[in-house]
Amino acid sequence: MKKSELYANLEVILELEPGTIRGDEELESFADWNSLALISFIAFVDGTLNISLSPQELQRAKTVGDLTNAVRAKIED
Amino acid sequence: MGAKIAAIEYALPIREVTNEELSLEYPEWTVEKIFNKTGIRSRHIAGSDETASDLACSAAEKLFALGRARKSDIDFLLYCTQSPDYPLPTTACLIQERLGLPTTCGALDFNLGCSGFVYGLALAKGLVETGSADNVLLLTGETYSKYINAGDRSVRTIFGDAAAATLISGDGATGEAIGPFVYGTDGAGAKNLIVPAGGSRQARDSRTAQEHRDESGCIRSENDLYMNGSEIFTFTLKAVPMAISALYEKSGITAESVDLFVFHQANKFMLDTLRKKCQIPEEKFVITMENIGNTVSSTIPIALKDAEDSGKLKKGMHVLLTGFGVGYSWAACMVEW
Repeated sequence: MKKSELYANLEVILELEPGTIRGDEELESFADWNSLALISFIAFVDGTLNISLSPQELQRAKTVGDLTNAVRAKIED
Repeated sequence: MGAKIAAIEYALPIREVTNEELSLEYPEWTVEKIFNKTGIRSRHIAGSDETASDLACSAAEKLFALGRARKSDIDFLLYCTQSPDYPLPTTACLIQERLGLPTTCGALDFNLGCSGFVYGLALAKGLVETGSADNVLLLTGETYSKYINAGDRSVRTIFGDAAAATLISGDGATGEAIGPFVYGTDGAGAKNLIVPAGGSRQARDSRTAQEHRDESGCIRSENDLYMNGSEIFTFTLKAVPMAISALYEKSGITAESVDLFVFHQANKFMLDTLRKKCQIPEEKFVITMENIGNTVSSTIPIALKDAEDSGKLKKGMHVLLTGFGVGYSWAACMVEW
């Protein structure tokens, strides 16, 4: 999956305008980044890549880039 | 003698709490946002002096009043609840007396949440098919609202109170109308859906009553229900598809030959995600929680009853049931309607 697809889905989850996410944003800067968004992201990655991400590892993520890296690390496992 | 589900009725508290009311309390969540996140528009909440057993008795009385069962025929009562009237005696004993069931009737409580109905079916099947009982009344009743802090929107938007009464009887048939079953338990997840104080491990005191606000802004104390939604979600996403695959293997039934799938009605987002992951067509999948919410052990019997009333569930259909949640505990089974 391309980063742009991941960003586009995050924008849907976080109810942001398309093209808003560039990759270096702090997650806490998004008003809708909460446990529900976390669940939606886990479901999206599970559904599209068949990868199980644990909430604990995602809760450590500070930026969009950290989320991307968490997904990439699983692909490379 | 084969056991069969002979009848289901359910009871809801009169009071409804709508998304409009909750939105007034949590202004950052609009009416539509609550619906979009949960699939729930309103939930029924028990009155301050109304218990889960009151609701369970109402559901059972409906069953008797409609002529679906006779009190004198009930020879075993199973009551699934995590909201007993007292630490002791067993609430099922109190229900036996209130309903006027025979004193020759066996009665016991069992403490399970969202998996409880499927486990109850397994127990009832065992009683009937071993000749230990002929007519088992399985009651599920829950009032999680009494464990929920008014300031905890994460659970308050989801859970509703309810009870259901299901009659399981021997029907003389030789085929298997209930079963087979697969089960699952993982106590490592206990901490993710729990009321920490109030039992023997941690008594309630002034310290456990202290409220705190979590990082999401939800307020609760250790006397209240706590749910780690993301952990529960990931557990479910893993456990339920595995249980269903195991059930296909055990029963020899293929996904295509299942007529209807009735999952524990946790919340709409979880159900949609599970449906897609398990590759279940939308028309074979029941979602019926919009005006009821997640009623824990009663969601499956309520969904079965509503599906039958709406014509979606018909006699002879092969139905796959699965319950999953607090414990962690889960189970799945086949039922021939």
